[in-house]
Amino acid sequence: MEHLILGVGDVFGGTTLLWVAVGVSLGYVLGAIPGLGKAIGVAVSIPLTFYLEPVSALGMLIGIAKGSAAGSAVSAILLNTPGEPSSAPTAFDGYPLARQGKGQKALKMALFASVTGDFVSTIILILLAAPLARYALLIGPVELCAILVFSLVFIGGLSGNSLTKGLIAACFGIFFATVGLETETFVARLTFGYLELEDGISLVPMAIGMLAVAEMVVQAGNLNTLDRETANLRDSSDPRDRTVTQDELRRCAPVIARGTVIGTAVGILPGLGASVGSFLSYGETRRVSATPAKYGTGMIEGVAAAESADNAVVPSSLIPLFALGIPGSVIAAILIAAFILHGLTPGPLMFQQQPRMVAGLYVSMLCASAILLVIGLLGQRLFSQIVHVPLRLVIPGVLLFCCVGSFMETGSVFSIYIMLGFALLGFLARKLDFSFVTFLIGFVIGPKLELSFRQSLQLLNHDASNLLAHPIALLFLFAALVFVVLSGRATARRSGQTPPTTQENCNPKGGNQP
Amino acid sequence: MKCLERRSILGLAASVALAAAGLLPGIATAQDYPTKPVTMLVGYGAGGQTDLVARGAARVLGTQLGQPVNVVNKPGAGGAVAARELTQAAPDGYTILFHSNAVVNAAPFIMDQVNFTPDDFEYGGMITAYQTGLVAHIDAPFDTLTGFIDWAKENPNFAYAALSSEARMYMDTLADANGLEPNAVPVQSGGEMLNALLGKQVVVAFSGGIHYRHPDELKTISATTTFRHPSAPDVLSIEEDGYPIGMDTRTTLFLPKGTPRDVLERISDALSVAADDPDFKKVTDGANIPIMYMNLDEASEEMRSTYEKNKGILTDGS
Repeated sequence: MEHLILGVGDVFGGTTLLWVAVGVSLGYVLGAIPGLGKAIGVAVSIPLTFYLEPVSALGMLIGIAKGSAAGSAVSAILLNTPGEPSSAPTAFDGYPLARQGKGQKALKMALFASVTGDFVSTIILILLAAPLARYALLIGPVELCAILVFSLVFIGGLSGNSLTKGLIAACFGIFFATVGLETETFVARLTFGYLELEDGISLVPMAIGMLAVAEMVVQAGNLNTLDRETANLRDSSDPRDRTVTQDELRRCAPVIARGTVIGTAVGILPGLGASVGSFLSYGETRRVSATPAKYGTGMIEGVAAAESADNAVVPSSLIPLFALGIPGSVIAAILIAAFILHGLTPGPLMFQQQPRMVAGLYVSMLCASAILLVIGLLGQRLFSQIVHVPLRLVIPGVLLFCCVGSFMETGSVFSIYIMLGFALLGFLARKLDFSFVTFLIGFVIGPKLELSFRQSLQLLNHDASNLLAHPIALLFLFAALVFVVLSGRATARRSGQTPPTTQENCNPKGGNQP
Repeated sequence: MKCLERRSILGLAASVALAAAGLLPGIATAQDYPTKPVTMLVGYGAGGQTDLVARGAARVLGTQLGQPVNVVNKPGAGGAVAARELTQAAPDGYTILFHSNAVVNAAPFIMDQVNFTPDDFEYGGMITAYQTGLVAHIDAPFDTLTGFIDWAKENPNFAYAALSSEARMYMDTLADANGLEPNAVPVQSGGEMLNALLGKQVVVAFSGGIHYRHPDELKTISATTTFRHPSAPDVLSIEEDGYPIGMDTRTTLFLPKGTPRDVLERISDALSVAADDPDFKKVTDGANIPIMYMNLDEASEEMRSTYEKNKGILTDGS
């Protein structure tokens, strides 16, 4: 406790708070600019961390992670160009809202959801890191494999209008994820002799091409229509469309709570990542909704679900790092380097050796949440003006940032080629109405599932009966099975008795009772 | 600052004198070196352990050379992308690569696309060594390699985590010699490897050295290097246990083929200062990476001998 008080003094007494604010602002702005993201923020700040106090350096890095996770909602909502795959579900409902003149409402809800998810997850990190991380160690590859199967079943509902096309897109995603060194034999798959492909297709340029560049090309094709809309687009005269109403807050509170829980849980588990968190949260929110068919047309709950989970992942992915010294995410791996740089050993020893520093770090993480709220509210006024700018001025800038963002990831032009290749694929997917979301899910989860499945085979000694020693895995597999059977039956019943009315009227409780 | 200015003035004077004497301009530039910032490539992404050591070294090199040394991360194919880029750079000492020597002395025997030889580069020295080894949970019922092998004979189909081809080669050699039946669990990062060990999903794992962060929970069973680990001086190396397959990996300064010897010496000397620099030592101590400095000639010799040795180990029978 006394360390906590000293920590508060350290943070507020020195320049630490300033650096945390710099980190959050930098992260937020980078996140809000399509194509740029935390990769650049980190590249900029790593050399800086050599010269800063440990708590300032670490606070700044964490601030960048938190800020960019929240900032990426801005470009997703206003331009339909999510900077990272984890914000893709935010765009589903956020962009339609923006085109209806309710952009500010969507931005505010996204920010509230982000800050809530972030803050609660930070509190969980501070209070429960040690016991949670110990428990997470029980989640081995076998359990992880079962959890991934379970997640896929849930996220599968996001496949769009046509299940077949959704599945085809997912298969393409998995296909592109197989490029690179195979994990067991280290044979290069589908690299065609390119050394750059040995590590696989990098997620960042792929996502920028697929999500941002392709979207810009499509919008350029509709330039006249969109510009005419923009000219007529006023922020709705109804003040309720500019802020989040009481009623919406009440409706979204459980959504945000669920998103926070899902995001926190996903963050602690090794190797799942923010995308799984936000997709799961969005999918689950849509599933339990009374009107699942309305999602994708501008449901504020969709924005809240995706953003709360997206931001809750960031602090909780640091739990394995703080409690055990294991990096649970990219940003955690970078933090380890920053710890070591200042002669600290990340992990349980930290609490004994440097209690005051840990306390200071906790305080600065909490401050980062508060700063995020302020920076977000200020930044949004500025960013929301972008909807009034004619697209022919927006698109070239966005394309430039996309190239910069792709290049920065590896420092090579090859990444820009990757970006362009996937921009073409993303363009075709949009034009032919294939779900690029299921493509992303396939790309992100496919390889994780493959790896954990092959790990499981070895751990179970190729004998399914050994699964009995893994009750958690059995539970998730059973739950996935039950879910598939129930939802299959519900669909069959629904299509069997569908009267010639609209889908959502025929069975209002359909979503609740899958 | 004053001393730097004096040095550059002296250098300028020297080069003017040499140029006036009509000597080769190449020598003049080598004497001057460096007159502009040096780019240091690192073959891993920003924030990794090698990157950390590289940045620590770059800071010392920058002070010693009197010019900034800028770190540029070029990740890809375990450093092979960065190494290939270095081969295309001008041999003037302004583009250097800080990386594990495994990219030359092991990668060519593992990856089809990589075929570097020690003769493709010049070397400015080596600075740290990786403490690679066979690691187990502290609760494991064995403490030594022989103890592990005895245990493994009784427990076929035990699981071990393998992060690289080298890890599989070590276990396959032990398995062939002793009739063991291991199950290799592929892992993709050091973090995953730690997870599997701490969560007791696997019995043993091959670590690149990060397990020393957990002295209360993990123990080293065997050092898979030719030397004993400074972090665990009582643990025998795998060679002491009778398996001549220790493979050392060291962080090395690579330069393009044809870089003048003067430049190499200048860099080698600057690197030797890093070996005694307290700030640099703080970084490497925090990461449990021992400093084992080698100058340019020792580095070159180490590269050639380990290349031949690893070739024998890694391509044997396949």
